[in-house]
Amino acid sequence: MSSDIYAALSPEEWSILALSLKVSLVAVAAILPACFCIAWMLARWRFPGKLLVDALVHLPLVLPPVVTGWLLLLLFGMNGPIGRWLSDVFGITLLFRWTGAALAAAIMAVPLMVRAIRLSIEAIDTRLESAAATLGASRLRIFFTISLPLALPGVLAAIILGFARSLGEFGATITFVSDVPGETRTLPIAIYAAMQMPDGEAMVTRFAILSTMLSLGALMLSEIMVRRIAHGGRHVI
Amino acid sequence: MKPPFLRAFCALLLLLSANPSSAANDRGPVILAAASLQDVLAVAAVEWARQGHAQPVLSFAGSSALARQIRAGAPADLFISADEDWMDIVEKGGLIQPRTRADIAGNQLVLVTPIRQPAQVKMGRGMPIARALGSSRLAMADPDSVPAGKYGKAALTQLGVWTAVSPKVVRAENVRAALALVERGEARLGIVYATDARASRKVRIAGIFPAWTHPPIRYPVARLRTSRHADADAFRTFLLSPKGRAVLARYGFSAP
Repeated sequence: MSSDIYAALSPEEWSILALSLKVSLVAVAAILPACFCIAWMLARWRFPGKLLVDALVHLPLVLPPVVTGWLLLLLFGMNGPIGRWLSDVFGITLLFRWTGAALAAAIMAVPLMVRAIRLSIEAIDTRLESAAATLGASRLRIFFTISLPLALPGVLAAIILGFARSLGEFGATITFVSDVPGETRTLPIAIYAAMQMPDGEAMVTRFAILSTMLSLGALMLSEIMVRRIAHGGRHVI
Repeated sequence: MKPPFLRAFCALLLLLSANPSSAANDRGPVILAAASLQDVLAVAAVEWARQGHAQPVLSFAGSSALARQIRAGAPADLFISADEDWMDIVEKGGLIQPRTRADIAGNQLVLVTPIRQPAQVKMGRGMPIARALGSSRLAMADPDSVPAGKYGKAALTQLGVWTAVSPKVVRAENVRAALALVERGEARLGIVYATDARASRKVRIAGIFPAWTHPPIRYPVARLRTSRHADADAFRTFLLSPKGRAVLARYGFSAP
């Protein structure tokens, strides 16, 4: 039994790991621009309903994941308004597909990502931007040469945290896209399925070790990146 | 914290701490049961409680998940599995009390389809189930572990169509979760028990799997080794009595 646990990953296990990485990468890449815009809005703008936007962004953090998954199913399912539209107009199906798993992971990662980016935007010394403006720099140039580089530690932290969160996503995913081996059977779902099997013990242990290492690695990496880029400046998280 | 608020807070704490202890005394036995028994056991529990017993605490999930909890030492009184395999595993682990195991009911396996967008498929060897699905999916409980899924896989294998249809299978945690996917029309076909199909008004039966295609579906009950509740065996006996059988029959369960 113990030799089973430490044996190299089988092809099936590799494919589960690869699928998990694909789902998480796509989720983070797809949601990052939106997260940056929301974070910018929340950090810099004042507008009516800001409190509501802030609360909505944090909702996936506190809502039971089953509820998030159920809402996704209602909206993006074959009979949901958005799901039907996507399938009629673009021929895209999210339900029971890895793209659906990525959507669920992205939604669940939003609060963490927005928070990390927002904190680093708020930490920017706005006098630097004002100085650049008085020197005649355009707003676009100020954004790309001053604001964005200064916010970068937060963006990187957001990417890594969002990625780690996506790797662990379970509740919303299983509710929305169920368990389809090769499509939606990511690491946590494979662990859950293996737990139900009479002799799944070894597999559960191996996957549990694997996901602990991945999460721990991601958290430490995000911390290192933040420190290195911030040069001993403010910590973002 | 202001004093009146503090007082209210303390009162609340007292209330919360007082309640569970009084409830623990008249709490009935804890029953871990297969998801397909959800409605019928709730009714059986009420009928039994009407005879002057404390209302049993019912917990439903796939038999595989329950067996896992029992093996991890869940403090419960009775286990009702949807197949003999999981009860065998629990029994081999020395986790049930000797001579308390008995079958309470039987069931049939059916193919269901949503009433709103029904799929047509004729049951039989080499049935064109993959074609009937089109781009949709077949919802069933996990065929590797959950009883309803194992029976379903056995039946489709016997009919010679498992390899063709397995890429289209969506695996649910338990049979009721599979039923829910068909009810919402997200899957155009699903494999559930006849009693599940009967409990739902949103699906209809597209076909019944002949009994020879899968192992007989039986629900064994047993008292768990860790059971301490004085009333645990009374509920088990009630389920096996004519009265209990009548409740099960009312919900479409056959005699074991």
